[in-house]
Amino acid sequence: MPITIIAPKPAQQRYAAPQDSPDASDSEEGDDLSEGGADLEGDISMGHRPAKKARTDGKYEIVTPGEVITDDPQWMRGHGTYVSPAATSIISSVAGTVTRTNKLLSVRPLRARYTPEVGDLVVGRIVEVQAKRWRVDVGSTQLASLPLSAINLPGGILRRRTDTDELQIRTFFAEGDLLVAEVQQLYQDGGAVLHTRSLKYGKLRNGIFVAVSGMGGGGGVVRSRRQVWTLDAANGGGQIDIVLGVNGYVWISKHVEPVLAEDQKTTPTTAGPITNAPTTTGITNLEESVSATMYSSQNDRIEVETMREIARLRGVITALVENGLRVDEDMVMKGYHEAVEMALTYGEGGQDDVYLGGERGEQLAAVLRGR
Amino acid sequence: MPLDTSSYSLALLRVDGRRWNELRRINAQIRTQAAADGSSYLEMGHTKVMCVVTGPSEPFGPARVGRTGAGAGATAGASGGEAGVVVSIVVAGFSSVDRKRRGRGDKRIQELQSTISSALAASLHTHLFPHSTISISLHVLSQDGSLLAALINAATLACVDAGIPMTDYVAACTAGSTSTYAANDESADPLLDLNHQEEQELPGLTVATLGDSDRVAVLVCESRVQVSRLEGMLAVGVDGCKQVRAILDRVVRDKGRKMVQEGTVQKGVGLEDMEVD
Repeated sequence: MPITIIAPKPAQQRYAAPQDSPDASDSEEGDDLSEGGADLEGDISMGHRPAKKARTDGKYEIVTPGEVITDDPQWMRGHGTYVSPAATSIISSVAGTVTRTNKLLSVRPLRARYTPEVGDLVVGRIVEVQAKRWRVDVGSTQLASLPLSAINLPGGILRRRTDTDELQIRTFFAEGDLLVAEVQQLYQDGGAVLHTRSLKYGKLRNGIFVAVSGMGGGGGVVRSRRQVWTLDAANGGGQIDIVLGVNGYVWISKHVEPVLAEDQKTTPTTAGPITNAPTTTGITNLEESVSATMYSSQNDRIEVETMREIARLRGVITALVENGLRVDEDMVMKGYHEAVEMALTYGEGGQDDVYLGGERGEQLAAVLRGR
Repeated sequence: MPLDTSSYSLALLRVDGRRWNELRRINAQIRTQAAADGSSYLEMGHTKVMCVVTGPSEPFGPARVGRTGAGAGATAGASGGEAGVVVSIVVAGFSSVDRKRRGRGDKRIQELQSTISSALAASLHTHLFPHSTISISLHVLSQDGSLLAALINAATLACVDAGIPMTDYVAACTAGSTSTYAANDESADPLLDLNHQEEQELPGLTVATLGDSDRVAVLVCESRVQVSRLEGMLAVGVDGCKQVRAILDRVVRDKGRKMVQEGTVQKGVGLEDMEVD
């Protein structure tokens, strides 16, 4: 009895694999199934300059864990790679794209947690209060620490911390508080130490928190020239501050004028005592006047119009992330203006023109991509 | 229901129509949960599992006390110099034919957890993340044999998605033999990738290897088998692992290429134009 065996059909793909050139992907499939991807060794060896690669989509190529990037000893290994103990070849340890800095080869992962670097502006949340420091969640692999000595203590001059400060540590920051800070120092093991010794930094209030992915990889917030800015909101929303933490934590809040500025406005020429002073010498006084409100957890009054615009900005940022676009000042501003225009067209009902999920988000992203 | 092994010798086809060296259909996806650090979904035939990776992150709050103890996980969490790998498995009540209630302390589940935890801890570069914990949460949605293999593969994919550095993929599959231990059949063939029915009747083992090499990371055999058959089974299993690795790698590559094309991640330097300045 002859039996014919019909070869089973290949498994159907859940999503359509991107195929810009069918022949390239076909040939690759053959390679991968027979050798499990190890064939790339030939493509990548850099000792002898290889001839023009046959594969056309080479620029979209990524490396995966265990893949040999090069076995030429002239290269140095960077992040995302390791050297096998037996050989000198550099092997990728994450899935991502290869980057090169002179002779340093590293692999940028498709997605990873935020890795702190000195000088980064981060938004964080206090998760633990210890005797002389706070532990702050900044979305990294470890909690960052914020020493009591690295914050602006209230009471005027930049003074040293005292035992009294230690005892009332919770009056500055308690568990759950949000703050914006700068990475001051890194430990050997990658842990970060933060500081808030500037009026730009400190406790956050009057706004909402959005977490997107950060500098680890895979879109989200990118390091850029300006991470903090103020914008004039549409529809009578007043001024709104945006803080894009490099770690992917974003803070959007109502803009509150610093107290000092108000003082100057109200008493421009009253010529009080010299201590009540012009800006140039006023750094200590500035501390004094600000310190009262600095660690307050009480929100100011926020108008409904402002709240709506804050919500709209939040919608813009989540739409950017969902559609794989980078989040920086430029994109957020363009996205916001676009969203305001879109709201005009939707807006007869006036109720849900803030919503930017689903189709509207895609529409917004499509417009931004087109630019 | 006894397995009718006699039909195998007639057509050399197994109960589900495969030949001895054929894997079941494997279908996998990564990045299935946007909010997680890493996630994956994997089907090996009708065995379906889902995985979510959180971390590496430093545990805080009350969880820290619970986790470092013997509690939730298989291995103790964050221990000084390197990251701990904590695995938790939830088997859905509807996953198999008979609805069995399995508690937290189920010994079989605990063994699966510790096996996966130690296998992955050996491949992941945990020394890069001191004081932190990588927690891997696995959900079994449907069971049809080769459960441990499917769990290992799903966990590997999710760790790749989370961007945790690792030596290589840990790919797993099962191997068996065509006749029972009692039959003592010298001419028994090895089988690749057992389904539930075969797993119940025939001797089998689960093997996981590190990437393309022949280095065995996991070897679990829970049934009696003649030692003369073991070598053949192991060879078939290791070969199957390589096939599985190729499939997993393809899933990651497809996703990565898609992300580069969409511009979510920056393009890498073309490796051919990588001359030294």
